[in-house]
Amino acid sequence: MGKFWVIFVASISILLPFLCNSFSPETPTDRRVLVLLDDFAVKSSHSSYFNSLKLRGFDLDFKLADDPKIALQRYGQYLYDALILFCPSVERFGGSVDVAAIINFVDSGHDLIIAADVNASDVIREVATECGVDFDEDPSAMVIDHTGYAVSETEGDHTLIASDDFIKSDVIIGSKKIEAPVLFQGIGHSLNPVNSLVLKVLSASPSAYSANPLSKLSTPPSLTGSAISLVSVVQARNNARILITGSLSMFSNRFFRSGVQKSGSSTKYEKSGNEQFLTELSKWIFHERGHLKAVNVKHHKVVETDEPALYRINDELEYSVEIYEWSGTSWEPYVTDDVQVQFYMMSPYILKTLSNDKKGLYSASFKVPDVYGVFQFKVEYQKLGYTSLSLSKQIPVRPYRHNEYERFIPTAYPYYGAAFATMAGFFIFSFVHLYNK
Amino acid sequence: MPTNLNFEMARSLVGFTVLLLFLSICESASFFQPISDSHRSAAVELFSPDHGSFKSLEETYEALRTFDVLGIEKKPDVTATACRLVSETVGSSSSTLKDLFYALKANSIVKCKINDKAYQGIITRLNAAVDGASSLPDFYYSVGGLLLVKGSKGDVHLADADGIFRLVKAFRQSDGRWRFSSNSPESSAFAAGIALETLAGVVSFASPELDQSLISTLNSDISKLFDSIEKYDDGALYFDDKLVDGHDHQGPLATTSSVVRGLTVFAAVTDERLNIPSNKILGLANFFLGIGVPGDAKDLFNQMDSLACLESNRVSIPLILSLPSTVLSVTKEDSLQVNVNTVLGSNAPPLTVKLVGVFTSGSKAASLVESQELVFDDGTGMYNLNNLPKSIDVGSYTFVFEIVLHEPEHEKIYVTGGQKKVPIFASGLIKIENAEIAVLDSDLGSIETQKKLDLAGQNAVSLSANHLQKLRVSFKLTTPHGLAFKPHQALLKLRHESKVEHIFVVGNSGKQFEIVLNFLGLVEKFFYLSGRYDIELAVGDAVMENSLLRAIGHIELDLPEPPEKATRPPPQPVDPYSRYGPKAEITHIFRAPEKRPPKELSLAFLGLTFLPLLGFLIGLLRLGVNLKNFPSNTVPATFATLFHVSIGAVLSLYVLFWLKLDLFQTLKLLGFLGVILVLVGHRVLSHLAATSAKLKSA
Repeated sequence: MGKFWVIFVASISILLPFLCNSFSPETPTDRRVLVLLDDFAVKSSHSSYFNSLKLRGFDLDFKLADDPKIALQRYGQYLYDALILFCPSVERFGGSVDVAAIINFVDSGHDLIIAADVNASDVIREVATECGVDFDEDPSAMVIDHTGYAVSETEGDHTLIASDDFIKSDVIIGSKKIEAPVLFQGIGHSLNPVNSLVLKVLSASPSAYSANPLSKLSTPPSLTGSAISLVSVVQARNNARILITGSLSMFSNRFFRSGVQKSGSSTKYEKSGNEQFLTELSKWIFHERGHLKAVNVKHHKVVETDEPALYRINDELEYSVEIYEWSGTSWEPYVTDDVQVQFYMMSPYILKTLSNDKKGLYSASFKVPDVYGVFQFKVEYQKLGYTSLSLSKQIPVRPYRHNEYERFIPTAYPYYGAAFATMAGFFIFSFVHLYNK
Repeated sequence: MPTNLNFEMARSLVGFTVLLLFLSICESASFFQPISDSHRSAAVELFSPDHGSFKSLEETYEALRTFDVLGIEKKPDVTATACRLVSETVGSSSSTLKDLFYALKANSIVKCKINDKAYQGIITRLNAAVDGASSLPDFYYSVGGLLLVKGSKGDVHLADADGIFRLVKAFRQSDGRWRFSSNSPESSAFAAGIALETLAGVVSFASPELDQSLISTLNSDISKLFDSIEKYDDGALYFDDKLVDGHDHQGPLATTSSVVRGLTVFAAVTDERLNIPSNKILGLANFFLGIGVPGDAKDLFNQMDSLACLESNRVSIPLILSLPSTVLSVTKEDSLQVNVNTVLGSNAPPLTVKLVGVFTSGSKAASLVESQELVFDDGTGMYNLNNLPKSIDVGSYTFVFEIVLHEPEHEKIYVTGGQKKVPIFASGLIKIENAEIAVLDSDLGSIETQKKLDLAGQNAVSLSANHLQKLRVSFKLTTPHGLAFKPHQALLKLRHESKVEHIFVVGNSGKQFEIVLNFLGLVEKFFYLSGRYDIELAVGDAVMENSLLRAIGHIELDLPEPPEKATRPPPQPVDPYSRYGPKAEITHIFRAPEKRPPKELSLAFLGLTFLPLLGFLIGLLRLGVNLKNFPSNTVPATFATLFHVSIGAVLSLYVLFWLKLDLFQTLKLLGFLGVILVLVGHRVLSHLAATSAKLKSA
């Protein structure tokens, strides 16, 4: 019996760090990351990127994509918080991993990074399509840009692209401006126009097109200009984040270290923007930035402090909520000026921007409309790159009670006067009538 | 056999993707650059000690060795801390064999002062370790350690070298790989490298008296090991251990590095020439160079150490042909430069570089130039071809080079790899002429409007056309040598206001490029969208230095109304910036209060309502009202008073009802007052009736 106890304690103490470090709503940063590779050579050729993740505390587990032992979940529990697919040519995943398993992984709120490359396999394309991104169907097509290429002594076919058309969002690519262009070599993709969750983070220049550089172009290329996305991100409705790119080499040490000069520009940068761009982007993907939480939703009448069960029409009320952003290690106050509250019944009756105290407390006061019914306080906060906040709290609004209406209306004074005058007359008349002789 | 064929295709596809993956990793297509300054800066960055010292002795040695190979000035503090660490390890009897080995290795580079007593201690320890060794790493560390002591101290002997040789050799497997210990079933190439290094150590201790047949069987083992070498499609060769269980899996770089180290050390101590094709050595060198700059300290050490081993090995020294630039401008008359170096970038022996031929990429035509020698430039150490041959116009070519060594005996020492194919892009400025845009009438083909375009500058053409007309865009491209040029990208783009885009490839006949858009046939493709279309022309190619994307202007199209079943234009992506963001505020409009007359008016009418009462009172006074009928007796007078008080109370109750009381309180009190009123009223009224009846009868 004692032996079992020892085993139990030992296994708990082994498991405990994992249990504590894993993803949770309170600490939304990922911890355990599965990296699937085509070849272990990628581990060393892309080691700068992996090291930057390791330094930030991620626990990377490298596996070959066709390793028969890989699994994303065991006994209904996910073994990883995030998945990195650096295996563009995998024809079939090993173990229990397949497209459906990866989609389920994302559907349960986990993050994903996909890097494809020329001749990306159907499996990788299928995963990307599920995420709202379509890679060029021509298997040997690459993104070519004859005016926005990176000047290189050894690469003459203009498939090495220097792109600096970033998304304008500090939360996704960091507040520090990326000075140097980002090197890209690989395949382009387009976004599904009806999918509103996928965003182009790095787009190709207007002169780019996607074609096979070795064969003549006889039909118009399917992807051209800035419609080509080089790097895209998806934030699903469950806040799972996905990064999709058509270039595995943009993560490589060689591109990280390489200098870059965009054609037609005389500035030569010592180091490409790849490291900064991809590191900052990975912070976003792994929820070190742009992850919000709202707590302490409160509302009360202006002079009171307790939350009432219902309001009367025309009451003055105050609504407040605290919003924090996860910084990777702690919850920091989130400061912005575009959080709005709605007082909602079928449609918003009131929509008001909340003012904040720079410490994360947002508040607004307003007068309850003179319509009674069951209302909701709604905060639907959606901002580019941030997780969405959706708060709603139901609250009934009642009309005036019979004795809450106005009494002694001046307009009615003549009526009151007439009634009382009659009464007084009657009183006097009763004397006169009875006792007059 | 369709499945078999598919399988074959899949395999070749996998091979191809591996190649592409590798290409994307390594420097660029099919030729490799020797070690450069970027390795040096990477080494300094990767081997940066925390607080002055490295994590372990192994890492200290790796840092020192890498700095040594790259010729980086060792920082004095690194040397000092390394020496302190070395003497601590060497002096202590509790240090592990592995630490001792790496301490000695580090010492062989930094040359610390170790006293004789410490050496004696080490020698006895190592000799004991050799005797007690049972696994390959034990032999490796102990024999290697003894060899290092011998290197710095001399006068060290290995007892029974022959026996140890046989003991180590027992770990050998039939396929040329080795096992780490006699009870581990896995054999690996990594172990083979370690074994070779160990055996080389044993041989150098007991060179003459060793049985030569042992060495020659080892020779054939090495050949077998090289049979299992793996190959990337660009000629790089490597060793990899396919272990299913990956916990001690070293990766191809560490494995190949181990084999190369073992092989070169072993080749250095035997008199026999190893039977390894020199091309394989070149392939291994290509593998290490192909990695580029690793991002990991261990990888960098393995790469540098192996390249240093290859740099001066006794099998064959690889020479690397590289080009600083493979993009040459015909317009600027760039000269072709070729570098020939050893793997670490030092100078090659006297040789001649020959340009054997130049071929247009993708065609099997004969060489464009005759074979010629490149001129050696002493100043830069490069082989130059000053002017590109006249027959080379813009385009992509494959240049074929050959290295010819001057001294015949160098052929045995060096390996050059035969003919070397290098893809070269010859770029140039393309002349664009006669650019025109015109609207044509469909039937006659007569020109309605025609505008000249200046594709080098800005254009803002504004045209209009209907669906019965045509649009023609034409221009002419010529190369610097006056030949026709067909760019890869010659696209005309029409973009409607609603962002629907249409792209057309501009075709050519010779130098003349022309596209005619017949709007009648394109109406459906254009989704019957009339309005303004912006026109853009993109002309570009990898070898065209003045590739361009120009907005030419716009055309106002007047297309017929769409029929019922016309296809709708595809949805356009929504701008992400406008999708989010704060909405306009909404405030509730409250019901307006009812309109009321001014208060003064109400008060005036209030006054008016009292006028009738006043009139009534004056009327009573005028009539001469009296109260003579009031009962004079005490009892009826009391009841009369009570009766009027009750009436007053009821009236006051009505006032209270108006002011504050509710209906229930009022009715309760009214019931009580009513009873009194009725009783008292009855007495008063009956008294009054009796009095008046008495009066009448009287």
